[in-house]
Amino acid sequence: MTSLATAGERVAPAPGSPRGRRAREVRLGLVRSVPLLPSLALLALFLLGPIVYAIYGSLTNRTLTGPNAANPSFVGFDNYARLFASSDFWTSVVLTVVFLVASAIIGQNVLGLLLAVLMKNGTPTLSRTIAALVVVAWVLPEIVAAFALYAFFASEGTLNLMLDAIGLTGPAWLIAFPMLAVILANVWRGTAFSMMVYSAALSEVPPEINEAAEIDGASAAQRFFRITLPMIRRSISTNLMLTTLQTLGVFTLIWVMTGGGPGFKSATLPILAYQQAFNFAQIGYGTAIAVITLLIGAIFAMVYIKVLKPEVD
Amino acid sequence: MRKTLTTLAAGAALALVLTACGGGNDSGSSGADGESTGSDAGSGSATIKVAYQKTDAFTQLDDLLQKCVGEFEAANDGVTVQLEPIAAQETEYFTKLALMHGSAATAPDVIYEDTFQVRSDAAAGYLAPMDDYLADWDGWDQFSDAAKQAGAGDDGSTYGVSMGTDTRGIYFNKQIFEQAGLPADWQPESWDDILDAARTIKEKVPDVIPFNLYSSKSQGEAASMQGFEMLLYGTGDELYDYDTQKWNVGAPGFVEALTFIQTAQQDGLLPGLEDALDTNLPNRISGELFPQGKVAIIVDGSWVPGGWMSDGSNSWPEWQEVAGMAKMPTSTGQEPGAVSMSGGWLFSIGSQSKNPELAFDLIAGCLSQENSLKYDTENSQIAVRDDVASDPVYLDYNPSFEFFSSLVPVTHFRPATPDYSQISSQIQVAAESVLTGQASPEAAAKAYDDAVTALVGADKTQNAG
Amino acid sequence: MTAPAVQLASPRRRPSRVISNVILVLVGLAFVIPLAWIVLGSFNTEAKVSITWPSSWTLDNFITISTWDTTFRPLVNSAILSFGCAVITVVCSVLAAYPLSRYQMRFNRSLMYVILFGTCLPITAMMVPVYALFVSLNLLNTLWGTVLFLAATSLPMAIWMTKNFMDSIPVSLEEAAWVDGASAMTALRRIVVPLMRNGISVVFIFVFTMAWGNFFVPFVLLFSRENMPAAVAIFGFFGTYGTVAYGQLAAFSIMYAMPVLVLYLVTQKVSGGSFAMSGAVKG
Repeated sequence: MTSLATAGERVAPAPGSPRGRRAREVRLGLVRSVPLLPSLALLALFLLGPIVYAIYGSLTNRTLTGPNAANPSFVGFDNYARLFASSDFWTSVVLTVVFLVASAIIGQNVLGLLLAVLMKNGTPTLSRTIAALVVVAWVLPEIVAAFALYAFFASEGTLNLMLDAIGLTGPAWLIAFPMLAVILANVWRGTAFSMMVYSAALSEVPPEINEAAEIDGASAAQRFFRITLPMIRRSISTNLMLTTLQTLGVFTLIWVMTGGGPGFKSATLPILAYQQAFNFAQIGYGTAIAVITLLIGAIFAMVYIKVLKPEVD
Repeated sequence: MRKTLTTLAAGAALALVLTACGGGNDSGSSGADGESTGSDAGSGSATIKVAYQKTDAFTQLDDLLQKCVGEFEAANDGVTVQLEPIAAQETEYFTKLALMHGSAATAPDVIYEDTFQVRSDAAAGYLAPMDDYLADWDGWDQFSDAAKQAGAGDDGSTYGVSMGTDTRGIYFNKQIFEQAGLPADWQPESWDDILDAARTIKEKVPDVIPFNLYSSKSQGEAASMQGFEMLLYGTGDELYDYDTQKWNVGAPGFVEALTFIQTAQQDGLLPGLEDALDTNLPNRISGELFPQGKVAIIVDGSWVPGGWMSDGSNSWPEWQEVAGMAKMPTSTGQEPGAVSMSGGWLFSIGSQSKNPELAFDLIAGCLSQENSLKYDTENSQIAVRDDVASDPVYLDYNPSFEFFSSLVPVTHFRPATPDYSQISSQIQVAAESVLTGQASPEAAAKAYDDAVTALVGADKTQNAG
Repeated sequence: MTAPAVQLASPRRRPSRVISNVILVLVGLAFVIPLAWIVLGSFNTEAKVSITWPSSWTLDNFITISTWDTTFRPLVNSAILSFGCAVITVVCSVLAAYPLSRYQMRFNRSLMYVILFGTCLPITAMMVPVYALFVSLNLLNTLWGTVLFLAATSLPMAIWMTKNFMDSIPVSLEEAAWVDGASAMTALRRIVVPLMRNGISVVFIFVFTMAWGNFFVPFVLLFSRENMPAAVAIFGFFGTYGTVAYGQLAAFSIMYAMPVLVLYLVTQKVSGGSFAMSGAVKG
């Protein structure tokens, strides 16, 4: 991780007033930032712009059709007041947090780490094959994965077929346990990312310390928790943040598998926002939900940065 | 290095050129160009874009358009018609349409519009008034007064030409009824009669779904119209009071209707949740489940036999012998004894169309006497043109026409207001929450009341309790 | 990356190897079953929602859907979207990563945090205002407008990854060039980029894959059939048929998924085995 403090100063500072030098530094800084411009332009127009517009839009009563489509009016925080008074909204917040914790924080991270560790200990050919399968699940286009998992959990699907074969009758998973189904589905889908991160991190851990501890009599568990884990702490924190925030935006998977149902039982915030904005035509109201989703993401991100201090340099 | 950069640059250029071509041809405009299509009617070239619904179960409109568009293009040199079929079920279809109206470049010229959306879309400024064109069209005289009203906006202008209308009733499978010992000329007089028959079937013919009533928001307007409103309007209560121009909240009939759904669900008379919440259920009921004898009693629309009579995927030649038809009763048999709901679809003109006159010509051609007859017979619509309704070809075409036309005297229409479509979504939410057991009828009704109040404001609601 | 150290062959390792293998196999089974359903279903005209061994293997499903309208045009649209997005993203992110990697500027740290957060913005939360933005810019239903938006959403992750790759290239070569009077851009073009070829390919393929699989953005921004990419076209299969034609759905899925799977294999080769992306994402 090299960065340059003085090497960038290729222009020899001319003799002169400190202000002259300062002005030159500022100019230099600006010139150096020029390559950033195309990216900043795209980001400002297509990401920052919509966020700002979203915040404004959530303060109107705009609809997709009807008189409020032609002439929406400013309603201040009415949409938010309605949201906070709505039990469906709070259920959705809870569902979203459950989804995040279960599938990303716990599911993908634990399984990814487990796989990374197992692959070090297992037969290389087998490890590579299993790794390939896990990665295929991740590279697959999202909607294909969604269909495959829908078919797996459907009441006449493969899961119940297998349970039948051992004499159990499975329930209609997508109706009776929709959150469980989508959580497992998201773990299936996203574990590869964590697995790759941890695999790389583990390969950077020098084995000497581990071996020394082993010779000293430390058990495998002790070695793992006391030595290995702390050494990959940085990767863990970065990965936690990335997987959490990625999972916050998951839409297609849940939409195809359960549509947010039955009722609103698996309607996480993105699903709720889509339904309100596009299906029920309540654009202003749906945007308010979206803004809150962004806020939740921002809070998670700030918590991670403060607490876990991921490496950015 | 130079090669990589050159390749990258060439690739980028290629990509941009391709996308510009791809984008340019289809939807035109990108800033500088301004609007791409259009010139005056009759001179130069023009493109008319038609947005409509097409699914594997609903191809009759596509058939009609293939025919009348061919006729239109032949008669109008230089004019191309671009058909834009939207393959989606109801709710998604309306969403897509609304999104298309967002900009001039994507807005369609001719639209397949549902009557319950027309006031709402007119108020949103999406539709163009057609009064001037209608005044010059002699076909318009053939349309019944009710049909002319169907396309009216709040301001009194007409925003759509009716393609046909429909009513709703009960279909039942006579073979299953025989197995259960129920009469072949069954006519329930009250809701309890329906529940009793369903319970008998559940007992005598156990592996059949006794009864279906659409109750999920994933079925969209079907759940409102063929489902809930068939119940509500049979209790004597209505959604909207035309005299006071206010929406009813706290209506006891609303709770009664929800209680019916709850009872049917608790007694196991309805399809299992995985089917009941399926967005494709209407297709599957009319196309497979009912013809294959897997569901005994359904509440559905008068257009359903259209698919059975066609050569398409829903073809069912034996329907006349197997399918019995009955009127939907009022809740306790009170006057007028039966209830039905009527809707229908229209052809509308998009307000951002560059060639509204050409668009109207296309509509007039597609709803000429000959083409209306074709569509109304093939799609099992109730004709709204007098010359079609009295045509012996029409009358002889479909044996169910007589029955469904007989329901017209007891039929109701949905509230013709711009906010109906949004309120309808709340009806579906209420029905589904009772269906899934997530709410009691009272709680669901209260949630509906609150939602309506939030949507239209407390001054537009009145307590009907 | 460090080379794997020589493992001492000790008897204590063997049971752990067996246990590891067993668990790996179990996990592998859990992962493979849904994939197998797709593969088996595509060759089976009687495919059901549960996994079935085809009674007769046939290419009928593939043949039925192999028309311009159903399959090929959507795939071409997907290619246009993904390729355009990836090219723009890579060019912009290489440019942007250079100052972030080479210069110590005061706002470096905060910018990187912003970028890190930007990698995970829930796009679904922003589609309504994006739609409104596209309406006012008159970009609705245009392929290239969608390309630009996809590029913008891919930029944060791409900048992050590119910067990581760039950081692992020593500055000394550029320093030599600077002493000789070369400008930053020349140094970037002549020295850094060629050395980063592998990393750039990884980023390119990563962005391409994400854009290829993106469903929601084209779902909201593209309407006409001519512009629809495969992700949306395949959704049509599912949503509008009475009973889903699972065999055809599976066949379409395979044709749709093939390109990115192949690309991933290419990445493996290019980055010399192990995990291609890991060099990019390690913190």
